[in-house]
Amino acid sequence: MTGGAGSVPGEEPQASPRDSSEDLYEDAPCGYLSTLPDGTVDRVNRTLLEWTGHSRDEVVGRAFADLLTAGGRIYHETHYAPLLRMQGSVRAIAFEIVRADGGRLPVLVNSTLQTDADGNAVAIRTTVFDATDRRAYERELLRARDREQESRERAEVLQRTMARLADENAALYERERHVARTLQTSLLAGDPPRDPRFAIASHYSPAVDTLEVGGDWHDAIRLDGDRIGLVVGDVVGRGIDAAATMGQLRSAVRALAGTRQSPSQLLEHLDTFVGQVQSAWMATLLYAEVDVGEGSLRYACAGHLPPLLIEPERARLHWEGRSTPLGAGGDDPPARTEGSVALAPGTRLLLFTDGLVERHDRLLDDGLDQLVEEVDARRAAPLERLVEELPRAMTADGVGDDDVCLMGFELALEPAVR
Amino acid sequence: MPIPPRPPVPEKSRSNRIGHRYGRDARGRRGGASSLVVVNVLLRNNVAVGGKPGGQPMLFAHGFGCDQNMWRFVAPAFEDRYRVVLFDHVGAGGSDLSAYDRARHSDLVGYADDVLEICAALELEDVVFVGHSVSAMIGVLAANLEPDRFDRLVLVGPSPCYIDEGDYVGGFSRADIDELLESLESNYLGWSSAMAPTIMGNPDRPELGEELTNSFCATDPEIARQFARVTFMSDNRVDLPRVSVPALILQCSDDPIAPRSVGEYVHREIPDSRFVQLSATGHCPNLSAPEETVEAIESFL
Repeated sequence: MTGGAGSVPGEEPQASPRDSSEDLYEDAPCGYLSTLPDGTVDRVNRTLLEWTGHSRDEVVGRAFADLLTAGGRIYHETHYAPLLRMQGSVRAIAFEIVRADGGRLPVLVNSTLQTDADGNAVAIRTTVFDATDRRAYERELLRARDREQESRERAEVLQRTMARLADENAALYERERHVARTLQTSLLAGDPPRDPRFAIASHYSPAVDTLEVGGDWHDAIRLDGDRIGLVVGDVVGRGIDAAATMGQLRSAVRALAGTRQSPSQLLEHLDTFVGQVQSAWMATLLYAEVDVGEGSLRYACAGHLPPLLIEPERARLHWEGRSTPLGAGGDDPPARTEGSVALAPGTRLLLFTDGLVERHDRLLDDGLDQLVEEVDARRAAPLERLVEELPRAMTADGVGDDDVCLMGFELALEPAVR
Repeated sequence: MPIPPRPPVPEKSRSNRIGHRYGRDARGRRGGASSLVVVNVLLRNNVAVGGKPGGQPMLFAHGFGCDQNMWRFVAPAFEDRYRVVLFDHVGAGGSDLSAYDRARHSDLVGYADDVLEICAALELEDVVFVGHSVSAMIGVLAANLEPDRFDRLVLVGPSPCYIDEGDYVGGFSRADIDELLESLESNYLGWSSAMAPTIMGNPDRPELGEELTNSFCATDPEIARQFARVTFMSDNRVDLPRVSVPALILQCSDDPIAPRSVGEYVHREIPDSRFVQLSATGHCPNLSAPEETVEAIESFL
């Protein structure tokens, strides 16, 4: 943007000595121009001509505003000129001068209004500073501001979307939990068979920490004759899927129990069923059949915890009739075995899921030992109270890691009259 | 040149939606404003009333880029006979910046509504409306909305449409207007008037206000940008033939904003109009040639 003295077309090199007034004006380190009050340029210095590439003839006699971009001309008329009139001076007004080659020269302009003794405007003196670097910097600032604003707006949109998603997820989760709970409750709600020859009590409580339903269930089924089918099972997983699978498995057990199958045969049929219902794979199950007439128990455990038999003299876990969880054998299911026990009048039977005895800070065997102790300690308690109290006693503070499901059966002391 | 003290900016934000709240009289005009409404309108637009009490009202409206100071050499000439009312458009000068409403002020009708609310608040009748630049069109819109309110219009450097369209030559292209908006942006960075209204309203730090060199016509930069857009993008050519009050068009020489051909267009389109060519150059004869401007208005009245 700079050039040697005399590079302006039609200019004679100045003969005046260095630092003469003329030299100070013409080659000042800023552009300098004077206009009449109406804006017509009547004097301009060499520096400004060099910067803009215009010849003196192209500038003198023209309106200063004509040197500006159209936007600058509007700004000149609406801001610069009124301000100058009212204040007598303006400072640091940003314009762009259109150069002879069509390029733009960003400048900052200071002007003062010269008045005569009566206060009438006689001339305007203007200095012009090259603001190319500064304007580039300002543009960068503006861009940065716009970018910052844009990214802030994007972040806000994202945040709002996330919040909405979270809300929707929470609502969905809540709805699913509600559906699962309703499903499970409805499946567990059926009244147990009532008969003077026996009593049944059950308990189910969901895990507190997850608040999500599990796949535990219990069931008592009146079969033909004097037989009662008792079931406690546990489907892998949690939530609505587990609840639905539990429902299917429960129905399957009910259907099979009515066909006079032995407990081990029932498990074998369930293996076939689980082969078709993937979600029931690895479910565990204790199926027990009590003949209240004979006073006998036959049972089979598919990977499930053993039944606890509470006889008048002692409480004992029965480890017979054990085999793998449902479907564990794949296409080659294991032969299912079963155990059988004679039941004296007054004998109680306790079926339960692992939530009752399993805790992360305790071995399973210790849990089972404790269960036997707790049961022994409540030998005199009615069945209902025993079933109600055990979960709390077993989990100390009543808060379990898992769902707790248990069912108690009691054979009446006096054999009822047929 | 002495600088008159600026009226204080109201501290508390006041709603500018009051205009929609009060009813209109049988002639469809706003009226019956409560004293609270009156105060709100007067504060909102920084209204200054002077001149002869009970005289015919003259309402002076400034254009884009400045405030009521634009009339400081013209308005006093009418104070002996007229009730002189000056005001700032919302966003300019001492107006209540918080009253700026993006929706309401997104076209000139919103500004015309502001003018009509000022008229209603002060119960002005037979108004002589003097509008400079964009306010000429704001006056046209206001007079078309409530013709009974106005006696005459004085349009200083009017342009119904700044952008060329077909045969119509407004003088600017879209690109020119974009350049203006950029120019505004540069200048707000340059003389940091972004802070001016805030600083000026801060009595705790008067020294900051004094440091602002270009303290006149300080406008909120964001509002100025919007106002520039509204001003230079609007097209009110269809409103001109509907003007039913006498109008005076004051045309400057070599006006780069409103060229003579545009002034003549306005004269052709407004039925009862008079065209006066001033020898004053530029766009602001009210500043550069106040005597000539006053004379032209006097002879019209």
